Formats: sequence, structure tokens, C-alpha cells
Amino acid sequence: MYDVRIFFSKTGRARYISHLDLNRCMQRALKRSGLPVVYTQGFNPHIRNTFALPLSLGYEGETETMDFRLEQELPLEEVARRLRESLPAELFVLRAAAPVMKPEKIRWGRYAIEARGEPQAVRRAAESLRDLLAQPELLVEKTTKKGGTRQIDIRPDLRLESMEEGEGSLRFTLLVTTGISRNINPSLLLDLLPGAGKEFSLRVRRTAVLTEELEPFC
Amino acid sequence: MIEEKLEKILLNVQKPARYIGGEQGSVVKDPSKVSIRFAMCFPDLYEVGMSHLGMKILYSLKNEQSDVWCERVFAPDLDMEAEMRREGIPLYGLESLEPVRRFDFLGFTLQYEMCYPTILNMLDLAGIPVWAKDRGEAEPIIAAGGPCACNPEPIADFFDLFVLGEGEEVNLELIDLYRTKKREGWSRREFLLRAARIPGIYVPAFYEVAYGEDGCIRAVAPVVPEAAPVVTKRIIADLDKVYYPKNFVVPYMEIVHDRAMVEVLRGCIRGCRFCQAGFIYRPFREKEPDTLNENAHTLCRNTGYDEVSLTSLSTSDYSRLEALLEKMLPWSGEEKTNLSLPSLRVDGFSEELAEKIAQVRKSGLTFAPEAGTQRMRDVINKNLTEEEIFSTCRAAFAGGYTAVKLYFMMGQPTETDEDIEGIVQLAQRIVNLYYSMPERPKGKSVTVTCSVACFVPKPFTPFQFEAQDTVEELRRKQKHLLDTPHSKKIQLKYHDASTSVLEGVLARGDRRLAPVIYAAWRAGSKLDADDRYFDLARWEQAFAACGIDPAFYANRRREYGEVLPWDHLDFGVDKAFLIREDEKAHRDAVTLNCREGCSACGAQKLTGGNCLVRR
Repeated sequence: MYDVRIFFSKTGRARYISHLDLNRCMQRALKRSGLPVVYTQGFNPHIRNTFALPLSLGYEGETETMDFRLEQELPLEEVARRLRESLPAELFVLRAAAPVMKPEKIRWGRYAIEARGEPQAVRRAAESLRDLLAQPELLVEKTTKKGGTRQIDIRPDLRLESMEEGEGSLRFTLLVTTGISRNINPSLLLDLLPGAGKEFSLRVRRTAVLTEELEPFC
Repeated sequence: MIEEKLEKILLNVQKPARYIGGEQGSVVKDPSKVSIRFAMCFPDLYEVGMSHLGMKILYSLKNEQSDVWCERVFAPDLDMEAEMRREGIPLYGLESLEPVRRFDFLGFTLQYEMCYPTILNMLDLAGIPVWAKDRGEAEPIIAAGGPCACNPEPIADFFDLFVLGEGEEVNLELIDLYRTKKREGWSRREFLLRAARIPGIYVPAFYEVAYGEDGCIRAVAPVVPEAAPVVTKRIIADLDKVYYPKNFVVPYMEIVHDRAMVEVLRGCIRGCRFCQAGFIYRPFREKEPDTLNENAHTLCRNTGYDEVSLTSLSTSDYSRLEALLEKMLPWSGEEKTNLSLPSLRVDGFSEELAEKIAQVRKSGLTFAPEAGTQRMRDVINKNLTEEEIFSTCRAAFAGGYTAVKLYFMMGQPTETDEDIEGIVQLAQRIVNLYYSMPERPKGKSVTVTCSVACFVPKPFTPFQFEAQDTVEELRRKQKHLLDTPHSKKIQLKYHDASTSVLEGVLARGDRRLAPVIYAAWRAGSKLDADDRYFDLARWEQAFAACGIDPAFYANRRREYGEVLPWDHLDFGVDKAFLIREDEKAHRDAVTLNCREGCSACGAQKLTGGNCLVRR
């Protein structure tokens, strides 16, 4: 059996596909591709595919990954091509490779965020972002799996890499804690910006998934 | 334009995947290279409409025409509608994200009566006048088809034309006529006059309805020579030659029926007297096993679905089911694809067949005795004996099933309280049967679920003449059902009766109901097939405001001689046959199914006098 990791982007309209729907969509695409995919054993076999990290509904992703197994070895270019041809253009298969790292190695997600809208509101958002990140501690409410909420400090989970202001637009790049043991959704920060989603719109794109050493996950 | 506005709102609504299109298999064309834009509209939510096979067929059929672009349009849920109205986003096609107001056609499929206000809401969201008479030359042609088009009178004033019967040929003829309209520069009226000459096209504006002093219809007559006194539905004579899609739009989000489907046959040999589908889709026609196997395999390969369903009104009546399964089982097993066979009749579920299906997958066992006593089953012509029900259950239990779901109906003609009790007693005997079987699954309990619907008399059935039970009577019967002693192994389910009675009003209504539907929509009725949104008070007020008594439509028995609102439409079965069947119902007399003997229903005239049932 051969493990394959595909790298794909999820952009445009595809950002409205939930993680659950993406999984189903990928299983059907694998089936359409005719690749000799390994199925689970049992009475109701299904394709054994896994995602290293889910991407929140509404976010775009530039280098998302999915793993699956093949019954027989095939050239990786061919695997990528056949799956690419079986998917809508906004779920674009970039390449296929043999997995190198385990998902446990993932430590950071790099997000390119763009706020656009009313210039004054965007200016206020930029100020607010600077203020928030200047604080030593950033306490936010996080909903737990049990449905309750708990307070967590997300300041150590955020690193601002760059920030660029224009008339009615604000672009910034953030590293956000990502991974299996601790996973922070950038919305925890973005929801603190006054007028978000009302006076200005936010476009969030995960541009890279990185290790502790800021190496791309591969 | 719309796409930008959508970006602002889509994350504020539930299930945004409903509103974005872009799914695998959706057809995108260059707008500058097509001349006819068609919106296939389903007046319900995406997940409901996307499950509908007829829509998939017509979508692909039209898109095979290089100059036609057919898009899908569904009703937005309330949260999305509010956002659309606030942001000024008109109803748009899912493929182009362009407003449907600028399209050439809007074609609605009418699957159930409760969708009528939703249609008005969609037209309004599109920015199109809801009344046909208010629409001008620039507006699209608003058309409809589907089972409720067999009595389109309550919504006749909202539509330019209706397509009666099966759509594969007549839709293309209509589009062809529209090409000529564009070329010749015909007016809307000129187009409709010519459309009225196409067999199967009904243009309601060309008919006048006269009413008598008793409130009944005196006559329905055409007012232009182009309109035929009686419009006959269309059928496809040879199903093996009819178009069938090679691909479906595969949705991202989960929909109600999320699988590949092939259509095994059309029509039904049974003639259950309450069942509209059993009459309006006659005559009975089957596809060849080779055609079906090919349809199914192609679809599975192109869609990537891991389940394919053999659909029809009664798939177990397919005369070559064994042969078909023999062709399908090898590749479906190999490709890990499940076969599913819905709507199996009790008497068609042989042990051998069950075994074949069990090779693939085991799910719950569901069937529909429809009535609890033999007398009642004879009245409705559900030709099924208790022994047949038991032998099916016995085979199922022996095969490891522990849950049985049974569908019943209450409120059918001549029903007594004894017949209601009979439902529970039948379920109890099935429970007893389970425990009497030494070979039952070890250590497991049995569940028998009875889902009891309220009967709604429908046009083109023998019961079209019958009075529907009042809401009060139906509620009393529901209470009586629950009060009949039963074990905990029996679950009884029923549905609020008021929806059924309203459905009854709309099903057998006439043109005087249009203002009621309009008023109910104005008061906020939409997506009424969904209990969460249905509000009876809105309808009651609409009836009162329009001075219409719903009981006149629902609870009144019609004389056989009365002119019914749909008498100028011909769906194959003769009125004389329906009268004979109703009379037999009142004598508890059954009618043979089409394989056992011909009852001269009249539908064979649609195929030139040949009935295609294999006897």
C-alpha cells in the first residue's frame, strides 16, 4: 500500500464548503478519478482519507492537504492529474507527494487577511488591531466541545508578520497557533475588531501550514 | 455584481453551499454564445429540489442544446431571503449568478400543492410580476409542469403556460418555437397562441370558466381557435429511446436523496384508488435491463456516487428485476457501490430478492399496507392480504431485520373506527409474529413503526369525487388511534391534519383560489411544506378575506356529473373508468392489477391503442 498526500487549494466559491462536505466531495472525486484507492474493510466500505487540518467555513486555503492510500504505486504526477480532473476548478490539486511529516508536526498557520470597506471603519480596525496586539495578554471566550465557554489567552498564539494599510483596505499576515493539540481560529481575534462583517468585509486566506521551525508542512 | 454582494452575506446564513453553485457536473456556458436562457425552478430549498430526478433529466436535456443554457434555481431559506432583500439581490441562477428576470423562461416543477405560495415569492424575489396578466414583452415566459399540473387551475392566473405529462419531447418543441419567436419577432401573445397548438401545452389565459349558481363549474371553454377544448398530456412511447442524463450535478452539501438514480419504469399497474401517481403516469412502460444497467453504470462513473437507486412508483413490479440485478451486482460490488430499491411492495419482496439485496447492504424494511383491515384495503384497492404482509415480515425477520416501518393512511372513504383500530392490531400481530419465530435475531427486540398519514382526495383518481374528512374528524381519529391499546414495541406517528385539508383544497381547487393563494403569500406564507414555517392562521385569514369556504373544496362530495376544474385536461384515464372504480370502492370490490387483467382505464389511447404491460 502506498500513502499519498495531495496538496490543494480551496478558493473562490469553494470556501463556502464545510469540512464535512469537503470530505464527501473528495471521496466522490477519488471515486470518479478511478484511482486504485484503498477502502476500509467491513460491511460498508468507504475510502480511507484524512485531512491534516480542517479549514473553517468561509476561509480560503492555498496549501491544504489530504492523505489517502493507493493499492498500487502510480507516478505522483498522474495521481495529481487524475484527481485534479475529477474536481471543480476551485478545489485545485497542486501536487501529490509521499507524506514526509506527521500532522503532529504542524505548529503554525499563516493567514493573509484583508479587510475592505468604509475607509474610516477600516482605519479604526487597524488601530484596534495594533492595540490588541500591543497587550501582554489577550483573553477571549472560546466555546468548548461540550458547548460551554472558557476564557483563554490567545496572545502567545498570534504573531503579526506584516501589515499594510491603504484607503479602505487593510492587509496583514498573521501566524496563528495551529495543530492537533492546540488550534486557534483567527476569528477569535477578528471578532474583536469593531464593525467586522458589517462596516467592512474580511477575506481570510490560509497561505501556509508550518512547523515549529516555520518549515512548510510536507 | 451579485457575486460581490453574496460575499458580504453568505457567512451570515445557514448552509451557504446552497447558494453558490459551482458543483461538480454543473453546466457553465459562455453567455455570449447562447441565445436562450432557461431557469429550472424548484419551489423549495436546495436540498429538497436537488433530490428531484425530473429536474436533473430536464436540466441535462436542455443543456445538450448548444444555444440553450439551463440553470438551477431554488427557493432561499428565510434567513437568506431576508439578506437578499436587504442587499437588493434578486433571484439568480446558480450557474451564472445572474438575475433570472433577464432569462427567457422560468420553468417551475410542481411536486406538491403546498409549494404554491413559494412560487409567488420566488417570482417576487426575481422582480417579475406574479400575475400573468401583468407581465409585459420584456418579462420571461413563466411555465410549469409536474404532477400538480394535472389540476393547475388554482395557480392558472400566475402562469403563462403549463406542460402536461412527460417533458422530454415537448420541452424541446417549446424551445424550438421560442427560437422562431426570437427570429420572427413575435409578441408574447403570438408565441402563446402558437404554443397552445403544441400537444400537451395548456395556456390557461385562452380558456374561460363559467360558474353556476350552486358555485360549481358550468363549463370551461377555449376563447381562441388555437386552444383545444381538451388538452391531452404527453408521454414518451419508448422509454429505451428517451434521453437520460449521463451525469448529475453532485452537490457539496448533503441533500435529501444524495445518490445516483435510474428510472426503471413509468406508470403503475396497481390502481390503488387513492394514489394520484398511480393514474396520472399511466400507461405502464418499462426500460430494458441493458438500458438501465448502462444508465446506472455511466452515472456512477461520472458522479462518483457510491449508491445507486432503482426508482419508480413500484420497482418490485419491474418484470425483469432479477435480470437487472444480475447485471448490476457484479460491477456494483467490485466498485463498492450500494444498490437501493425504494418503494418495494410487500408482495413483491420475495426471499430470493431480499437475499440478492442483502448481498450489498442491509437497511430498515419499509412498506405500505396503507390500511389496517382487509375490508379497507379492498376499498382502496390495495391488493394485499394480511398473509402476504406476514410472509414478507417472516422472511425479513429470518434474514435478521428487527425494525419494520409501515405506512398507513386514515380518512379514506367508508372508514370506521374499527379500521383505525385495525392499524394498531395489525402492528401488534407483526410484533407477535416476531416473538413466535425461534429463528428471530437472538436477544434483540423488535420495533414496528406505523406512520399514519391523512388521506387527501386528488384529481384523476377514483376518489376525486369523495369528501375529505374535516380537520376535527381527522384529529378525533388520530386520538382514537393513540387510545387503542398497543405495546411499547409499536410506535405510532402521524402528522397535523390541517396541512392535509389545505392540501385537499388546493389539489381540487379552481381558479377562484388564486386570490387566496396570493393573500396567504402576502401574509407571509412560503416554504409551507416545512412544518417550521407553516402557519394555518395565515391561510384561514386569506380564505375569510376572499370570501371562500375551504369546505366547499375539501369536504364536499362531487356528483359524478359535475364539471370538475380539470375536466378539460386529459391524462389518459377516462372519467367513466374513475367513476366505475369509485362505485366499486363503495361495494368493497377490488380491481385486478394490469398484469392480471385489463380494466379499460383508457390510458392505452396515448400509445396508439397498445398497452405495454407484459402479461
